[in-house]
Amino acid sequence: MLTRRKFVETVGIGAAGALTSSWIGARGREDATWNALSPSLEASSQAMSVIPLSSNENPFGPSAAVLDAIKKAFGPEGATPGRYSNATGALRDTLSKSLGVTSENLTLGCGSTQILRTATHVYTSRTKALVGTIPTYEECAGYAAMLGHPVRAVSLGRDFQMDLERMATAAKGSGLVFYCNPNNPVATYTGATATRDFIARVHRISPETTILVDEAYFEYVTHPDHQSMIPVALEDPRIVVARTFSKAYGMAGLRLGYAVGHPDAIRKMSEWDSGSGTSSLNVLALHAGVAALEQGPAFVEAERARNKAARDFTTKWFADRGMKSTESHANFMFVNVGVPAKQFRDGCMAKGVRVGRDFPPFENAWCRISLGTMDEMKRAVTVFGEVLGKPSAIAAA
Amino acid sequence: MSVTRRGFLSRLGAPGGAALDATVDGRLIAARGLEAESAEAWQQAGGRRGGPPAAPREGQPPSIRISSNENPIGPGQAVLDAIVAQFGEAGRYPFNAKVGDRKLVETIAALHKVKPENVLLGAGSQEILKTAVWGFTSPARHLVTASPTFENATGTARRMGHPVVEIKVDSQFRLDLEGMLTTVRGAGLVFVNNPNNPTATVHSAKTITDFVERVRRISPDTVILIDEAYHEYVTDPAYETAIPLAMATPNVFVARTFSKAYGMAGMRIGYAIGGGDTIKPLARLGMPYNISVLGVAAAIAALGDPKHMEAERTRNTEVRNFTQKALEDLGCKCTASQANFLFVEVGRTAAEFRSGCAAQGVQVGRDFPPFEGSHARISLGTMAEMQKATAVFRDVLRPANGTGGGGREEAPC
Repeated sequence: MLTRRKFVETVGIGAAGALTSSWIGARGREDATWNALSPSLEASSQAMSVIPLSSNENPFGPSAAVLDAIKKAFGPEGATPGRYSNATGALRDTLSKSLGVTSENLTLGCGSTQILRTATHVYTSRTKALVGTIPTYEECAGYAAMLGHPVRAVSLGRDFQMDLERMATAAKGSGLVFYCNPNNPVATYTGATATRDFIARVHRISPETTILVDEAYFEYVTHPDHQSMIPVALEDPRIVVARTFSKAYGMAGLRLGYAVGHPDAIRKMSEWDSGSGTSSLNVLALHAGVAALEQGPAFVEAERARNKAARDFTTKWFADRGMKSTESHANFMFVNVGVPAKQFRDGCMAKGVRVGRDFPPFENAWCRISLGTMDEMKRAVTVFGEVLGKPSAIAAA
Repeated sequence: MSVTRRGFLSRLGAPGGAALDATVDGRLIAARGLEAESAEAWQQAGGRRGGPPAAPREGQPPSIRISSNENPIGPGQAVLDAIVAQFGEAGRYPFNAKVGDRKLVETIAALHKVKPENVLLGAGSQEILKTAVWGFTSPARHLVTASPTFENATGTARRMGHPVVEIKVDSQFRLDLEGMLTTVRGAGLVFVNNPNNPTATVHSAKTITDFVERVRRISPDTVILIDEAYHEYVTDPAYETAIPLAMATPNVFVARTFSKAYGMAGMRIGYAIGGGDTIKPLARLGMPYNISVLGVAAAIAALGDPKHMEAERTRNTEVRNFTQKALEDLGCKCTASQANFLFVEVGRTAAEFRSGCAAQGVQVGRDFPPFEGSHARISLGTMAEMQKATAVFRDVLRPANGTGGGGREEAPC
């Protein structure tokens, strides 16, 4: 126990500076890598129509029903976009019904980005740290660092799973635990039972700490113990669940996310966001969100199955060539490509496939590869084979 | 600087800061309701999901929403076409889309002949305002603003617990820049809304330039935000944008929006322009991926279709002249409007005027303290809407309140 605590302190506090700086240095929001691309590479990427496997997007984008709803939202004279939105209520109603919650359990955001920033703003301070794994999705850590709030980065455990014991210990006295599940970029999922145990444990050790469960990739999970933490959050103001329309619903470009929680937590977050919470949401996204939800669970199931097929195919391709991937429950994979991510990335880019950026501390051998369509993945593995010197019989067929 | 001024300013440092709020009517905050929030309220008051607001009573004419300074025409076909053409990119993040947010920054920069690093996009100019208050004010560095003015900055500062000094507009309902100057020393941010919402008045380019120079002399570290949301509607030749001034002056920047003359309030796109050293700290705080890929395409198309915006300006001027004359014929004085709304002395409380209009299907602006006892803000709809609305105003402004048919003459406000 003592050893463990000591380790956490090392990871969390003593080494926080070093860890955080590499974490932040590499965080570059999703776009940082591409902003740094040389103009020639950018030009060539446009010329050859790149397969984008770098940002965990849905390759199909929004469904026809969603796009129809956007067109309808123009209004009969095309004048509706000239009005301030009056569709927030409609989306909140639809979302409430779909989740079985009330409107006071919900706050909307300009993507879950806004939700993550707001939670970090509200729940961390100069004396209340943010706790998260390293690596994980960097929005909260980057925001906390910008505010000068301490960040405790906890290494992952076996098989790239969150090390819940270390996380719980690191959570002591912290303001917010960022619990990204499935965890981006490593794609692993922690089952609902283990998550509930973790929450209980954190609150025994640190009753004031809030846990932000980011379920951005929730719809893609195929784990047997797959449950949302929304029911837990509804009962406990110290749990907030973040969701997004960017992934399974294919609406990354529309900027729509939300938080679900106890009314006290939602109120606290809305207070900071008031004036930009709803005013940052564009009217087309609000109508799109309603239409997306009205497709019902069958849509999500079909999307999960489609993604799983592409994931299974790609996982097998790497496994057949002796390359390990983590157990992915998301629309991306974390793969040991055996060479530095940058080398692999540049090699793929030169052949028209764009894969993920560096994720320290694993940038020397591991790469995040988002899943495109089955057809895109078939073309992509041919490129991977060429770049890694492992020609593919499957892809050649 | 006079003793009085110094005495006033010294209170800025006092704990609590309650004295600073002496000029503030407490109701301002209660009534602040951002434009979006009043749209929400309107919806809750009977508007239908996604559609136009419902008529308030059976048999009434369709409702007319002239409460939120919106553009009734919308963005135009070129913009709608651009949105549809971008559908294929709707699943991509704004930085990954084929026409991405950088392209919009570059387009705006080219329009104003500045560099991309001089431009920061916001989810509406509201995000710019909020970020500016957050970044430039603090418990020790107050916000200087007007009363009444667009309340977003005021509300944000109060929520953060940063002191606010509000200077009431002058007798012509213009920003009292002289009064504001007396309070700028040590301020974090000065908010200058030109034209000023809700009073609709403008200051000339020369007046703004002089003001900025004097602020810089008194308090060089104070940042000045000039919000030109209604810029495109101004017809006064003495007015000019402050963008060149901002580019030439440290700590000065301009906020603009696509919500007004470009007819895209629902798309949530605004931007800040200023020197790199002023924009950089704002950009650091700004929300990433804040503009949708459809919004990016829409804004680029809007800037590529200046004729639509110019037609909107002409249309607005005609409607403004018509409505102003109709109100003045009723004996109601309007301020010198340079925007897409009027600030009108209605001779009764705004609440009374508003509920009278609402009963006949016309939704006018909320309370604007300290003038809520006498003035209403009326946004300009289409000419057809304003013809109907002015008939309603005539009825509502009748002392016996119309329907009774008391036979009294139309009373002046």
